[in-house]
Amino acid sequence: MSTQTKSSEIVLDYVKTIGIVNNGYNGRGFANPYDIAVGGDGRIFVLNRCDPARASAIRVGICNLEDEYLGEFGRGFGAGDEQFVWPVAMVLDNRHRLHITDEHNHRVTTYDTSGDTSGNASAKYLSHWGKPGTGDGELNGPAGIAVDSSDNLFVVDQHNSRVQKFTSDGKFIANWGSFGGGDGQFNLPWGAAVDKDDNVYIADWRNNRIQKFTNDGEFLAAFGNSGEGEGQFQRPTSVAVDPEGFIYVADWGNERVQVLGPDGSFQMILRGEATVSKWAEAYFDSNPEEKAERDISNLKPELPAHLNTPYHISSQTEPYFWGPVSVSLDREGRLYVTETNRHRFQVYQKR
Amino acid sequence: MISNDTALMAHLLRRAGFGANRDELESYLEIGYDGAVEALLNPSDPGNMPDDLIRRYHVEQSELRDLPGSSAYWMYRMISTSCPMEEKTALFWHGLFATGYSKLNQARSQLNQVEMFRRSGLGSFEDLLVELSKDPAMIVWLDNNENHGASINENYGRELLELFSMGIGNYSEDDIKGCARAFTGWTLGNAEYMSVRAAKDSIWPYGRIAWHFDYREEDHDDGEKTFLGETGRFNGEDIIAIIVKQEATARFVATRLFQFFAADEITEAGEKTIEAMMATYFSSGYQIRDMLRTLFHSEYFKSEEARFARVKGPVEMVVGAIRMAGNYQDPYLGIEKVADTMFFMGQGLLRPPTVEGWHEGAEWIDSGALVERVNFVAKELSNVSSPGVRSIIERLEAGADQGVLQPSELADGCLDLLGPIQVSEETRSVLVEYASRHGDLDLNDHQPGDQAEQRVGDILRLVAATREYQLA
Repeated sequence: MSTQTKSSEIVLDYVKTIGIVNNGYNGRGFANPYDIAVGGDGRIFVLNRCDPARASAIRVGICNLEDEYLGEFGRGFGAGDEQFVWPVAMVLDNRHRLHITDEHNHRVTTYDTSGDTSGNASAKYLSHWGKPGTGDGELNGPAGIAVDSSDNLFVVDQHNSRVQKFTSDGKFIANWGSFGGGDGQFNLPWGAAVDKDDNVYIADWRNNRIQKFTNDGEFLAAFGNSGEGEGQFQRPTSVAVDPEGFIYVADWGNERVQVLGPDGSFQMILRGEATVSKWAEAYFDSNPEEKAERDISNLKPELPAHLNTPYHISSQTEPYFWGPVSVSLDREGRLYVTETNRHRFQVYQKR
Repeated sequence: MISNDTALMAHLLRRAGFGANRDELESYLEIGYDGAVEALLNPSDPGNMPDDLIRRYHVEQSELRDLPGSSAYWMYRMISTSCPMEEKTALFWHGLFATGYSKLNQARSQLNQVEMFRRSGLGSFEDLLVELSKDPAMIVWLDNNENHGASINENYGRELLELFSMGIGNYSEDDIKGCARAFTGWTLGNAEYMSVRAAKDSIWPYGRIAWHFDYREEDHDDGEKTFLGETGRFNGEDIIAIIVKQEATARFVATRLFQFFAADEITEAGEKTIEAMMATYFSSGYQIRDMLRTLFHSEYFKSEEARFARVKGPVEMVVGAIRMAGNYQDPYLGIEKVADTMFFMGQGLLRPPTVEGWHEGAEWIDSGALVERVNFVAKELSNVSSPGVRSIIERLEAGADQGVLQPSELADGCLDLLGPIQVSEETRSVLVEYASRHGDLDLNDHQPGDQAEQRVGDILRLVAATREYQLA
């Protein structure tokens, strides 16, 4: 389902759903995915945050648009090398290095993904950097992360209410922001993005808005406010900007994705329209009795009034986004929406 | 007779809440006993930890697929609410209308049921029974989704009468059949698919799909039924309207409320209070809030006889200790393990052992459970870095003569600030003797975690191990 304004300049076509809940500890499927990064070679890296029962399997899974599960890396829960506690977001830089934030370990972990790009793909661990604190370059709950054309990294330092700029090796360059609701201030910020002109966008989570800055942190604009209407947000978690300047926002609390024009004007809403993934088809092939009952069910039911909230609707309406925590783009104009609570992602193609 | 004193207010807050620290107690004392009763019975904004924060950090409490995260989600609510009676009421109905994860595999819908208890648990018992009968978790728990017009399943009809309203001996087998027929067609959306998923504990392909009520008119037996002497083409609402008129129902509800909110054992004075609650039940149009108001204003409830007349349930024990210590006010890695401690003490949220709920009172205590209870509370209260414990230390210091407390003052001060808790002379002398081992306590220039503060923590730990602390 999507709604578009009459003057909308953008059209997004639903392509497919990839994923299935992974109840085991490794292998095909996802466990509470939190972010996606898409490589130039078509590999899709999926960050599995995992719930506590499956924390030993915190990892990055790799697949592609052809539904092939290519492999995974990461060594589960902990504070050692390649381990994570509460991983949040990741970004691929121009040298194919994947940087992953961890809001509990207060650090960024970097892998080199430039090696084997076919078959049994994996990644080479390089380092982790960052330490807890409030000083320059120190982190308190790193969340979103983005990269500019010069491979500088922008890390959303949520509990310090600021954005920090680093080299891709983790050397501190600059920071900006403070706690509050004014221009250039933040309240538990989360996602980050960089546009083709290297401007920086931040999902200012608890202020229910997107803020736009120059590459050096000068405030340029703020889009949105609190609410369920068009152009309004409820706890936006993630932002992405395409080459034409369209801004994609994971409007997490409203269980939807919104697209804004380059000037912040409302363009369209996506509510999600998931179909049975190829991996899910394999499950139903093995469980025909469950499939038979599913086929005669209405998975878009009318709900009683007390359940008429975006969260409850999504919890009962399988095709809709539920926990759309991240929006990511690839070079082909495709949008990937990661759904934490449904262990899958939905893919849209921009016309 | 004490009316508005601190001990009475603390008694009220142990029953209508999870106990109170001294700051909370003082704020209730400012509005007086009557005002406190009204504030507790008319919950406003609970101000609990907001869902957005919980969901951001706890993916398991956003999805609510499994039991550990789901029970932790409710525990967060209990420990951070400023409307404790709302949670206490939900806990009461959760125990009475016991619905368990073991069969449902559907924690999200169980939590929807808990939310229904918050929404309707203090209102009309008639409305509550209608909501309960439409609750999808209850429908699956007692097989009403298998109760069809052409082939009835009596399970829900039977338990509605036996365990949820009148009690055994007040109806016939024919009444059960009439009741069950009236609830045919009361099911959940996509009942067949959801039943298959629940039975298989299927989470595939994309996690759980929560439940909602669905009425299938074509599956409802619209024929004439006779129930408790009345005849008509009854539907479920009609049956409930007859149930709530019965004196047996009034006695059942009043007794269960009394045993949860007043005392485990019913004395002669307690029986008179139950009868007063029954009268309120009818005069108010079956309003639970009014019945509890009658209870809390009764001479019995205010008397010494009712004080410490209940064994704290594990949830009361754990939540009360956490609230007193002031911990877990922000999302906390590993909170599900904290919630699990209640299960190890015998009361896991969302997992009552059977449809009969938990066996309460003295049965909460066995040797294993007692060790768990004491260890948990002792750990919470002896941690002098916890904000609630720091507050106790500061109050002790403020009340000390030139910053110095004699051993008896230290023991009495801790008992006072943790309740006040009334203990036997024997218990008190043990506490005083322990406090005497290092002489007077000098709190001048105390520093976080130093030896002086730890001596306070040691006494608090010891209080947690007393018999009296096990009682509410």
